[in-house]
Formats: sequence, C-alpha cells, structure tokens
Amino acid sequence: MKRFSLVIIAVLAGLMGHAQTNTPGALPTPRAPTLINSESADFDLNGHQGIYRGHVRVDDPQMKLTCEHLIADMPQAGGRPNHIVAETNVVIDYTDDKGQTNHATGDKAVYVYSEQGGVTNETVTLTGNPQIENAQGTQAGDVIILDLANNKAHFDNPHMIFRQNLNGATTNTNSPVTVVKTTNFPPGTIQNIDKNISNHIDHPPF
Amino acid sequence: MNAKANTARITLIAGVALLFAAVSNGRAQENGPQHASDFTSTEYYEPPHQRQIKSVLSGAEALPQPGGQLIIKQLKLETFDLDGKLEITIMAPECIYDTFKGVANSPGHLQVHTGDGKFRVEGEGFLWRQSDQFLTISNNVRTVVENGATMNTKP
Repeated sequence: MKRFSLVIIAVLAGLMGHAQTNTPGALPTPRAPTLINSESADFDLNGHQGIYRGHVRVDDPQMKLTCEHLIADMPQAGGRPNHIVAETNVVIDYTDDKGQTNHATGDKAVYVYSEQGGVTNETVTLTGNPQIENAQGTQAGDVIILDLANNKAHFDNPHMIFRQNLNGATTNTNSPVTVVKTTNFPPGTIQNIDKNISNHIDHPPF
Repeated sequence: MNAKANTARITLIAGVALLFAAVSNGRAQENGPQHASDFTSTEYYEPPHQRQIKSVLSGAEALPQPGGQLIIKQLKLETFDLDGKLEITIMAPECIYDTFKGVANSPGHLQVHTGDGKFRVEGEGFLWRQSDQFLTISNNVRTVVENGATMNTKP
C-alpha cells in the first residue's frame, strides 16, 4: 500500500508543484489543503500510476482544475511525478503572480517535470483549442506551453482577442463597459503573428 | 516486484493466513476456518529486522464464507517503516476477501491515510487485486492533501 499512497501523493504534489516553482527563495507559508474529487479512481501500483476518472476536480489554494480524466505517473525510483495528463474539457482557473485571474481551457493538459544536471524543466502543455482568458482578453494558439521553471508561456501560432472598452482602448481594468469582440473579424484580433516576433510571454499563469 | 511494493499483498496474505490459523482455536485445520472476533495479525520484517513490525492487520470479526471467501468487519491495516513509524492506515467497515482469487472488495467505505495524517483518500466501493496490485475506488473518491505533505520515497 505504500506505493499506492505514493502515487496519490505524487499526483497531488505535481498539481501543487507549480505554485511553488515561481517563488524561489520564498518562505513556505501555510496553505489550505488541496482536494481532489472524482467519481472513481484506479491506482496501478506496479505501473506507478494513479488514474482519476469522471468529473475530476482539483481544488488548490492557488488554482482549480477540472477535467474528466487525470493520469499521473511517477518515476520508478519515487520522487515527484514526472508526467501528469489531464484530458477532456480541461479547465484551469488560477491567479498569477500579479494577482490576475486567468481561465485556461483545452482538450488536454500535460505536465512534465524533469531534472538534469541541476536544471529543472517543468512545463504544462495545453492542446486541443487551448486558450487563456484574462482581463486583457483571450490568448490562444495551436499549442500553449507554460514554462513553469522559467516563468514564461509559449504560444504556437498565437492569436489574441483583446477586450476593448467603448472608446476602443484596450483595458485591463474591471470597466463596466468592457465588451468582448466575438464577431467574425474583431478589430482587436491578431492572428499569425510574424515568426520574427517572439512568442514568449512573461508572467505566465502559473 | 520488490518487497516494499508488495507490502499490502504480503500483509493481506499473511493476515488471511493468520486468520485461518488463529480461528481454529485448537481444532484440526481440516475443519476449515472458523469465525473469529477481535483478531489481530502482526507481520514482522525479514531478518535482520525481524523484531520490527511491518504491519498490523486487525478486525472486529472474520466470517468464513463458502467458496473460500472471508468477510472481514472493521478492517484496519497499518503499515510501519523500519523505524517503527506509521506509514499508512487503511480502514474499511467491511470487505470480502476471496482467498482463491486474491481479491478484496466491498461496496462500502474505504479510507486510507498516511501516518502523519496529511494525506487522506476515501471513497465508496473498492476492489483490490493482489495479482497485479491494482486498487479501484468506484465512487465518490475524495482526496485531501494537507499543506506540507511529503512523499516518503525512501524504503
């Protein structure tokens, strides 16, 4: 049963790990518990895998995730999980390091963690019509990679839809007159940003 | 499969074996397992740690059933590390253990928590297969991880 517990803890630790990545040097502060609810769950002790199925909901103090299927793998030698897959109607709501709320969606989210030569690689890759919505608008791409270790987000084939107020100025406030452009060709839409422009955006959601 | 990974399986086997032995109460084994109550089965580590308790399986009642099945009520399984520290506690009000198939199941509640209490999972209905060490919790799975929960990855 020890492996069983390790697998489950690994799932949780992995889901919570992002919250700790962006605060190097910060003193640990007490956190509320992380909860994972699902309709059912399988724990493969030989395969080092935990599988949550059906209305999976992760409630963490710094983010909430819902999906229909979540699989977590952990290394044979133990330690933190190196691979977590959330599938089907993936929704992640979180607050970034600027205090801004973000709403990320996609068909699939893959968390990968590795350490090589003292370098930590930790990413979440969103695919399947992925997008991140916040006060500025909606950022979308074919693939969105959240580089948790370096606090960046990478968008493949990015396109953005800005929120605009009635004066046409982009807003990042809670203006009551904010309008989301959802027409076929919204003036605030930018598609296929030139490849020469860096697709990296600082201050990713996690 | 390493020994640590097989803790649960070994413990279940040991526990059931003990039940079959303990409930005989001096009767010949050919009479088969008998009813037992308030039983406890203690498993120790292999030498050179044979004095260290590996697991304790206890129950309020064990009822042998036809076909090699055993109904265990108020099941409680505790596993310990070599330092005597409580690792995992598993509790189920009732479960059926099939001694032939090596399967334990119950439509009822299952609760698991680590020794420090920082990790807890519970649900309704479970199936445990010894052969491939596969646990399924069928309904309403609820997992709680308290702040600071850690992964004990060292044997």
